[in-house]
Amino acid sequence: MFIGLLVVLLLVSAFLAILVGTLGPIGPGDPERISFSDALDAILGLKSDHPAYYSSVFWDVRIPRVLLAGLVGASLACAGTAMQAIFRNSMADPFIIGVSSGAAVGAASAGLIGLTVVVGAFTAPMLAFACALVTVFVVYKMGTVRGKVYVDTLLLSGVAIAAFLGAVVSFLIYFAREDYHQLIPWLLGSLAVAKWSYVWILVVPVALGSFLISLYGRELNALLLGEETAHNLGADPEFLKKVMLATAALVTAGAVAFTGIIGFVGLIVPHMMRILVGADHRVLVPAATLFGASFLIWADALSRTLIPAQELPVGIITALCGGPFFLYLLRKNRTGGMMS
Amino acid sequence: MRLSVSNLSFSFGDSKVLRDISFDVANGEFLGLMGPNGSGKTTLLRCLTRYLPDGAHAILVDMKPLHTFTDREVARTFAVVPQSSSTDFPFTVKDIVMMGRIPHVHSRLATSRKGDAEAVSDAMSASGCAHLEDRPFSELSGGERQRVIIARALAQEPKVLLLDEPTVYLDISGQLEMMDLITKLNKEKSLTVVAVLHDINLAARYCDRIALLNQGRLEAIGPPENVLNSETILGVYGVDVAVRRDPFTHNVFVMPRSTCAPARKDGVRVHILCGGGSGGPAMRSLVENGFSISVGVLNVLDSDHECATDLRVRIVAEVPFAQISDDMHAENLRCIDETPLVVVTPFPVGPGNFKNLEAAMYALNAGKKVFIMAGGSTSGIDFVGGKADAYLSNLIASGAVKVDSVDHMLQLLAHEGAVKR
Ligand SMILES: Nc1ncnc2c1ncn2[C@@H]1O[C@H](COP(=O)(O)OP(=O)(O)O)[C@@H](O)[C@H]1O
Ligand SMILES: [Mg+2]
Repeated sequence: MFIGLLVVLLLVSAFLAILVGTLGPIGPGDPERISFSDALDAILGLKSDHPAYYSSVFWDVRIPRVLLAGLVGASLACAGTAMQAIFRNSMADPFIIGVSSGAAVGAASAGLIGLTVVVGAFTAPMLAFACALVTVFVVYKMGTVRGKVYVDTLLLSGVAIAAFLGAVVSFLIYFAREDYHQLIPWLLGSLAVAKWSYVWILVVPVALGSFLISLYGRELNALLLGEETAHNLGADPEFLKKVMLATAALVTAGAVAFTGIIGFVGLIVPHMMRILVGADHRVLVPAATLFGASFLIWADALSRTLIPAQELPVGIITALCGGPFFLYLLRKNRTGGMMS
Repeated sequence: MRLSVSNLSFSFGDSKVLRDISFDVANGEFLGLMGPNGSGKTTLLRCLTRYLPDGAHAILVDMKPLHTFTDREVARTFAVVPQSSSTDFPFTVKDIVMMGRIPHVHSRLATSRKGDAEAVSDAMSASGCAHLEDRPFSELSGGERQRVIIARALAQEPKVLLLDEPTVYLDISGQLEMMDLITKLNKEKSLTVVAVLHDINLAARYCDRIALLNQGRLEAIGPPENVLNSETILGVYGVDVAVRRDPFTHNVFVMPRSTCAPARKDGVRVHILCGGGSGGPAMRSLVENGFSISVGVLNVLDSDHECATDLRVRIVAEVPFAQISDDMHAENLRCIDETPLVVVTPFPVGPGNFKNLEAAMYALNAGKKVFIMAGGSTSGIDFVGGKADAYLSNLIASGAVKVDSVDHMLQLLAHEGAVKR
């Protein structure tokens, strides 16, 4: 039922977000305000008296961008929910095992060796994706002894390697010098690069990944009461940890490779949904996935309209909204815990 | 269902934790698993659940070796109730109990089947937590949580319920409620129970049999009254206990012996005239303060007789419920002859033991120091129509010293120069 509402919310959000922008019926409206009917005609391809480029603004720019925002938001929120369950820690996020820092090294070195991070080049996303996966694999190996995954060690290795790679990125940026400014949108996370090819590449892995994670809702529930309990309930914790880590890492790396490091979505969306639907992952995972998509679509719409004729990287918006909201949640839960 | 463990050994690296353990558990049995900390009880349960998989070949369930089971089959055979459970995530009670259905799920695509919902609500009613259904698990009390965890275990529809010290974090009423619940499930659903219990008396009261582990070995297994004797408990736990039977249930129960100091043969001698449970504190304090005591005349089965037995002191004993015979009276007087000090505790006086008061008079006449301990308004309980009170007053008039308490007496003895320690 609630999931149905979230689906409706997502569809409505996506539709509205398509209309939002400098060129659109909603938004700052400068330099050109399009009427609702013109916009609809342009989107639906109906013959009308609007200029021909209207259609291409919607179909080549706006729609792929909104879809990409939805896909990235969904994958970050879904992966974040899985990570929080695996680590039994509500402070975990999809980047905790080194995805973002690895991807950053990839993106930055693409900048350094002259493979410019310009829109359209696939080299940088591929390098970011590959580095993210290599990093995750190293972190995973550090946290694994004789085939058993120790999540505490995994968490610490993730933190240590992220710190190390952070230094590497700074080093690369220092040498990239004038190419550095091209890297900024990626480091802060931006959807301005959106194009249909990105959407097509991401849609299948994200759909499969979040579907796979939601299939293991019961087992993730059990895991939250401890690995021994999960074992005693027939949910093989080692298998579960490996499958979830691999899936979450893949969808996160895929999303990050194109759009850069969009923070906080994977952390706060699972929190918000837990407040609304509870901790049962059979509901929580689909809810967070759907809401994550809506959330990033809104954030992106905001990033396009907040400053007229300019665009903010969406990661700034998510961090600006996410940080204070997260602190609020922390305080609220703390006092709630003390009263109970 | 028949569970059988044969020659199970288990090591963590080089340290052997279970050595050659063999036992069987019959269908519907309530087996208590006991032993000191670190003796391997939890490890044994973990071998049964295959959380530690190395021992599985030594375990048979219905003649089928455990290592041939799938994880889900194991979870349909054994359900575990740990010492305590907690989570920071906002699970409701129903969410927690629903986890018990994991081993029964046939398809991942089906979210929740009707059978699941029924099994969950049945399990919650059976363990008495149906009213908590929608409460957040993390807000429940320890006892309520354990009920919920038992409901989760029942939702697994297991053949054997394994419990690892399920009552450690509960208060006394919680402990009894929990044990009653487990017994009820054991009897009514004929669910086989294997429970690690740390409280010997609780175990003796509820278990059909007790298996006692010591340093990874199975020291003894059998009905509580066979396993729980003071030699075995001294050997396994290193504590000296007295084993008794509960007068109402005839269950055995144990209690630590009432002394930490061994009876001395060389202390200042004191003879205690007591009975009816009045002599225990005096016996104990005197022994602890280094006196060497003897007691008399006591009927066997009198609780003072049990105290004196525990303290391993010399007792002049009469057969149960009999009057003090002339022989025993004479023996009592011989004891008095050997001691400089005599203590009369406020024992109930009847025709059967009046001779103990006469023994006090004998002591006074023989020049011994006699202390008479006060007990409430009168010196004792008089069942001989005031004769006893009159006799006591007479004793005091003849030089016996009246004391208010054991401590008071010890002070006076110290003044007398009777050596402490
Ligand atoms: N994971 C482990 N690694 C190494 N040694 C362990 C481990 N778990 C328990 N032990 C050791 O095994 C012995 C038995 O422990 P345990 O089964 O927990 O005892 P009990 O439950 O009877 O108190 C102890 O000496 C303990 O130190
Ligand atoms: Mg233990």
